[in-house]
Amino acid sequence: MNADVVPTAIPVERRRRLARPDAMPASVIVAGIVLAVMAVCALLPRLVAPQDPALINPTESLQRPGGAHLLGTDQLGRDVLSRVIHGAGTALSGPLIIATATIVLSLALSLVAGYFGGWVDAIVGRGVDLLYSLPPLIVAIVLVGVFGGGYWLAIGVLIVLNIPQNVRIMRAAVIERRGLPYVEAAETLGVSPLRIMVRHLLPNIAPVVAACFFLRFTYGIVDLSSLSFLGLGVPPGSSDWGRMLAENRVQIFENAWASIAPGLALVLTAVSANFVGDWLYEHFERRGRTR
Amino acid sequence: MTTPSGLSVRDMEVTAGEARAPVGIASGITFHVGPGEAVAIVGESGSGKSLTAKAVLDLLPENVRAGGEVRYCDRDVARMPARERRRLRGRELALVMQDPFTMLNPLERVGAQITEPLEDERGRRLDRARRRQQAAQRLREVGITDPNVADRYPFELSGGMRQRVGIAAAIAQQPHVLIADEPTTALDVTTQHEILELLGSLRRTHHMALVLITHDLRVAFSVCDRVYVMYAGSVIETAPAGALSAAPRHPYSLGLLLADPPIDRRVERLVGIPGSVPAPGGRPSGCPFAPRCRWAEPACEASMPALTEIAPGRATRCRRIEEIGGELTRCRQERLVHAAPPPARPAVAPIVVAHGVQKVFAARGRHGTPVVALDGVDLRIGEGQSVGLVGESGSGKTTLGRIIVGLEHATAGSVCVGGVELAGRRLARPDREALRRTVQMAFQDPYSSLNPSRTVGATLAEAVRLAGTDTGVERAVAGLLERVGLPDHYAPRRPAGLSGGERQRVAIARALARSPRLVVCDEVASALDVSVQAQILNLLRDLRDELGLAYLFITHDLAVVRQVTDRVYVLHRGQVVEEGATASVLDAPRHDYTRRLVASVPRAKEQAPSTGNLAGASA
Repeated sequence: MNADVVPTAIPVERRRRLARPDAMPASVIVAGIVLAVMAVCALLPRLVAPQDPALINPTESLQRPGGAHLLGTDQLGRDVLSRVIHGAGTALSGPLIIATATIVLSLALSLVAGYFGGWVDAIVGRGVDLLYSLPPLIVAIVLVGVFGGGYWLAIGVLIVLNIPQNVRIMRAAVIERRGLPYVEAAETLGVSPLRIMVRHLLPNIAPVVAACFFLRFTYGIVDLSSLSFLGLGVPPGSSDWGRMLAENRVQIFENAWASIAPGLALVLTAVSANFVGDWLYEHFERRGRTR
Repeated sequence: MTTPSGLSVRDMEVTAGEARAPVGIASGITFHVGPGEAVAIVGESGSGKSLTAKAVLDLLPENVRAGGEVRYCDRDVARMPARERRRLRGRELALVMQDPFTMLNPLERVGAQITEPLEDERGRRLDRARRRQQAAQRLREVGITDPNVADRYPFELSGGMRQRVGIAAAIAQQPHVLIADEPTTALDVTTQHEILELLGSLRRTHHMALVLITHDLRVAFSVCDRVYVMYAGSVIETAPAGALSAAPRHPYSLGLLLADPPIDRRVERLVGIPGSVPAPGGRPSGCPFAPRCRWAEPACEASMPALTEIAPGRATRCRRIEEIGGELTRCRQERLVHAAPPPARPAVAPIVVAHGVQKVFAARGRHGTPVVALDGVDLRIGEGQSVGLVGESGSGKTTLGRIIVGLEHATAGSVCVGGVELAGRRLARPDREALRRTVQMAFQDPYSSLNPSRTVGATLAEAVRLAGTDTGVERAVAGLLERVGLPDHYAPRRPAGLSGGERQRVAIARALARSPRLVVCDEVASALDVSVQAQILNLLRDLRDELGLAYLFITHDLAVVRQVTDRVYVLHRGQVVEEGATASVLDAPRHDYTRRLVASVPRAKEQAPSTGNLAGASA
């Protein structure tokens, strides 16, 4: 409008100039590939697996890796590789459901509690404290043990009992931003509370949400496998990694690979998810920083 | 070239980032400070002044490197072994930092932090009794006479006291050079005044050389003999303080001087410098100031001009100084005499009438006491009137502003905004809407007043829709941007891609979207560089003339109040101690506190000290 208010022609992008280019480190690339392979196995097991995972062949029991069976066979002569590949489905889907559901619920609670504060926050906070006192895995073992092999019951218990950890982290992130001028400016403009939560707070805590999601996913893998290792959750005979570990551990000296393979798959998936989650958090965090 | 004692820096380079692709932070920095002398390094944010100071003390953060020569008493500091350099720090060269809140270890008593490095003649730690005695003595030196302060923890002290303790710790070993990096920026005006006095007197009593790093020319002139002006990583002018103030010899120095709003009169128009300081890595190759300079010619952009001496103790990097020197002086002089009388405004209908407003914040924890932020405040803002609210931190000025926009609720009293009574009830929906159409707010910190994950366009479009416009939102957004002096291609940018001044413009545009009659400006300009601050103040004045806006201007800066307000309220500990027309309050303050406030504004020294330093110093 005036000669002396001519704005700069060049946008200021200090951060980007001083920070190193955001290259993906090798560990994250490898982790991503591992997760992608696992995802393909989970979605299209029949295409990838060399054999039917349930095909029992007593004449070929406890074979060593090599030849027709790349990872050998178990006591019933089932192909270990095929069983590991088919196991990816349950191994990934359960944790995915747990992580998604628990994050959505926690996020809603955190936004409401953190934004409104006061007695709403107090109620949510006390409820969360109460849940916090219950150890998820042990409660799941007891409930599933008492009510009998309910896979969905186990998942439900893990969803609910994982809420406290997430709420603590996300609520803190909401409160940190709740008093910032841009939120108060939205309030003085007359933006509705729901819109403030969804448009002004949620995008700015996205890095924390992503980090929580992958953390829950990793814990979900371990928790569900622990349950099936104990014989709870998935029905007997299904090709679940935890279950395979339990079944084959007796023959560890005759055919070690039958129990090593599912264990390895478990560790690889969990560690990869963690790597990817960590990197995503840092990536978002850096991008969202304004100063 | 230099006296054997003192600190001299020659051709210092500071670079950041990886060694293969370094980003220049500062280059060719040369300065000298002799014993008992005070020099200032003045520059806006991004000029590289703080990192230069850290480089001198070898305290650079990771990934930042320095080259060049640092000589102290004719010894090359850069070539010293790290051990010796460490011994030099604190004993010979000491640093006082900006933030009194993070400078001290919160878990240690103040006395222990002051006496920690002290040793006796044989290099052993002092015993308890002597440490106590030393702590008390050091505190006395910085004007703290109560020896019990040594037993307190930092959180028990005020900001000014902490800064004093920081200075006491820095000078505990009787250093010969004290480097102070923005020592008063985080402090209130009256405290700032005391700390500057303290630094000045310590320099005399300890015969200490002082390097004051600041963004504020007024602060520099009030303490220092010689000033180095830095811009975009290089020293662009050096001169004795008085000479620089009277006749700058670089267009940037002139710009800084003109942009600084005067405290003693209202000027027709503040002269900002167009554009903003280039970021490290994005600096032009020639004269760094050329893109913003009205005297620039193509040759200026070809190569970086050298710092040339034009008179004893004066040097400039402007290559056209021979031609434009006279004009620079004339611009400066014109400004010194030019003054505009404050426009008289007729009595008008009030937008805000506050009466006996009280705000008490509940006690924190079981043992806390309730905090009385406002204690019976009366305030009136008329239609189209610009009202200042002045006070130091903790005076309650921001709380009052927040009550008026409805972000906070008064404990008692009455607050009537645009015909809606805010105090003592929950607002019904139509009342809330009426309030929002009447008053909007602009905030202090340009970095958090915009949602970092939304574009400028989305932020403004949301505000426009709330004002009830559903068609032609895009046009309305472009119109708002134009109002605040931004081109419409800024709409798709995110706040991270804007400078501080541009962000404040967007924040102001957002407040204007609902076409309010009153805008509460909470320190809108104080986080900005001087040159940008002038642009924003001008913008606010223009908007007022065009739209007939009323302002409630919350600030601690009396010079800003002088420039943009008609009436002013002085708030002290939650009470209005004085009110009236801005000019009469500032020129003839009646209340004791107002007088102290006005007297604390840094002013140039009456007379430059008659030391031989001025003539003997070279750039």
